[in-house]
Amino acid sequence: MKLKKSLIIALVLFITGIGAWEIYWRSKGYFPNLDDDKYLWAKTREKVEKATENDVVLVGSSRVLFDIQLDVWEKKTGVRPIQLANPGASPLPVFHDLVENTDFKGTVIVGVTPPLFFSTTFPQAPPWSRAFAKVQFYEDRTYAQRFNYSLSVPLQNTFAFVSADEEEWYDDINLKALLNTIQLDNRIPVMPPFYRFQEIDIDRNVRMKDRMVTDTAFAGTVKTVWKAFMSGEMPPPDKEGTMAFFLKDAEKFKARGGKIILLRCPSSGFFRDLENKGFPRKDFWDLLVERAKVPAYHFEDYEQLQNLNIPEWSHLSAESADTFTEEFLNILQKDGIIKNLKIK
Amino acid sequence: MLFNSLGFIVFLLIVLAFYYTPLLNWNNKKRMLLLASYIFYGLWNPPLVILLWLSTMVDWIAGNKLSREEDPRRRKMWLMFSMVVNLGFLFFFKYRDFMVDNFTAVVNSYGYGYQSQPMDILLPMGISFYTFQTMSYTIDMYKRDGEPAKTFLDFALYVTFFPQLVAGPIVRAKDLVSQFYEEKRATTNQFIWGLFLLSIGLFQKVVLADTLLADNSDAVFSAKSSLHFLDAWAGTLAFSGQIFFDFAGYSTCAIGLALMLGFFMTENFKYPYASLGFSDFWTRWHITLSSWLRDYVYIPMGGNRHGILKTYAFLMITMLVGGLWHGAAWTFIVWGGLHGAYLILERLQRRYLPFKITAKNGIFLALTTYGCVNFTWVFFRAKDFHSAWNMIKSMLFLNPGGEKVLGTFDIIKIFILIGIMLLCHWFMRNTSLKEVSLKLSPWVLGVVWAAMIFLIAIAQGSGEQFIYFQF
Repeated sequence: MKLKKSLIIALVLFITGIGAWEIYWRSKGYFPNLDDDKYLWAKTREKVEKATENDVVLVGSSRVLFDIQLDVWEKKTGVRPIQLANPGASPLPVFHDLVENTDFKGTVIVGVTPPLFFSTTFPQAPPWSRAFAKVQFYEDRTYAQRFNYSLSVPLQNTFAFVSADEEEWYDDINLKALLNTIQLDNRIPVMPPFYRFQEIDIDRNVRMKDRMVTDTAFAGTVKTVWKAFMSGEMPPPDKEGTMAFFLKDAEKFKARGGKIILLRCPSSGFFRDLENKGFPRKDFWDLLVERAKVPAYHFEDYEQLQNLNIPEWSHLSAESADTFTEEFLNILQKDGIIKNLKIK
Repeated sequence: MLFNSLGFIVFLLIVLAFYYTPLLNWNNKKRMLLLASYIFYGLWNPPLVILLWLSTMVDWIAGNKLSREEDPRRRKMWLMFSMVVNLGFLFFFKYRDFMVDNFTAVVNSYGYGYQSQPMDILLPMGISFYTFQTMSYTIDMYKRDGEPAKTFLDFALYVTFFPQLVAGPIVRAKDLVSQFYEEKRATTNQFIWGLFLLSIGLFQKVVLADTLLADNSDAVFSAKSSLHFLDAWAGTLAFSGQIFFDFAGYSTCAIGLALMLGFFMTENFKYPYASLGFSDFWTRWHITLSSWLRDYVYIPMGGNRHGILKTYAFLMITMLVGGLWHGAAWTFIVWGGLHGAYLILERLQRRYLPFKITAKNGIFLALTTYGCVNFTWVFFRAKDFHSAWNMIKSMLFLNPGGEKVLGTFDIIKIFILIGIMLLCHWFMRNTSLKEVSLKLSPWVLGVVWAAMIFLIAIAQGSGEQFIYFQF
């Protein structure tokens, strides 16, 4: 048995193969990037433990994730916000975690995307479970998982072929994702392909890909997915339940000196129509603001937060997100709600 | 710590570097292995290392006393001491809520409004494995079968040895402890073969179980309505493959890792899906558990020494214990009970309808065995009886118009993969990987090896736990 020879052959072939694999995917336009997963979320959540009264935490759904740009915020205020928003999820479980499991008494910006914020408090419902799973993971993660993640970040930042995002995008290039692209004459309905349309960095700063602005067909694929998501029967919103849950946490947070800011980010087209019909402003947003008694900002009330580029009706393009963040901060600073810590 | 994780690669490199450094003598190398094993376990949940220490201390003391003590009453007392502590831990962590739930159900069936408070205690990883392993040592000392461990260090390393600590193989002291007495060093061929086994184990886990089968099996077993018969079968077959590749993959990794350090471990799987009957199945599936149950439950109860009826009863009890070992739920007990029933039926067939196994009827027998085993997997995997029964009805064409949850490609993929697995098991049933590898040219072995690690690298996986960690 010439095992040494086999080992050398295996190593040479593996290194050649994986090198060719990496070059192939780079030639197809892929480059190394981080995955938005529970590990990255938990690493970001860690920062809250050491956060001071001057710090800002962002909770909400994907709109807060895309629309608030951390670099712009830091440049304008001297503080880099802690981004804890989650795509397709209610902000309530994360806000509850901040209130119940930390001593944080800085500022929390709560993104209100009505179909998600007012959706449910039922633990198994996706808007709740998607966010709660991350909170739970933060509590339960092992030292081995922390160690693994610290080793995986340099690999994710070096190799394009390392891609295993939790969202399981259609254009991910791990083996499972590649197999999922094989569609034969199908016996079950299939979701339209959902391509990754954003990049994320180690602080969870998310920016929409430029391709979403330059390639309308690509943006169209995301629109098709949104329509498919919303075409099924949706359970009715639990307005009173979600509001009561949030208000209870909000009272507790305010009582210990924390500041809350409600933010309704822009939407357009299909989503705007759906939100206006299903979640009329006066019945949902206005009522929430009235009961919460905290500063609240709706994009419709500020001209400078309107007419921005929303390529797929729900999230701002990278450039518009910069503008939105800057203008939103101007408003907050004008109202004396957020200070610029760079000015002593 | 999981074998299929980046952290483990770093951990292993450090352990190997210390193990093969000439700076440490053999005792210090063993101390290093022991410390590494505690770190391996503690990186999951540090406080639970205390349980390992307690189990080690109790069985070391009990084992030593049993090896010297002559008074039968005192010997029995030391054995009981070990049993009570070990089974006490197992009961408290694994079966407490199950017992309380059942007690509550029984009490409330008489109209009492009793409400129990589940403790939701974290189940220490691999507790069933290391408890059975340490108990085997004390029982062997009681039976005067084998020598006591020479030093505490050797015994502690036997209990905690990281390659097999959390999911077996369940190794007997006489097979492993004696290997710690003399300095061990893998030869180059042993080391490379160990690395090859580690690669195969990871390939089974990361590529075959997690990437190719797990999602389909999960989709089927989490369906809320009755399933189409094709989906029910595809999901069950997918699970049969997933659990085999997951568990056999872990055992193969463990055997490979031990070999890289110069230690030999017992095989735990021998191509079980090509079994010709159920007694054959249990000599091929989770061999170290079935031999444990045979030696420490079935034979001490009486085995086949007290007539046919009692033999069957002992067989059934042993398999029920085996089911309960896997998990604190009635579905696991039914899984064990079904296997017990199969074994009894097989013995009845041998007694009243004996036939000679030939090449032709052998294939039929193997497929029948595999088919019956699949029905038991439904109870093993389903979250409750209702789901299990629904699945069985779908598999038996009793749910017309059931829901379709798997795509065409997934169904084709599962049937092809399971078909290949069955063929491999069939052609490998009377040989071993080593024998086959000896006949292969180094080039073929090298190419196969490269393909496996390439697929592991591009599969990546999410570092999910092995299924058997929960047992």
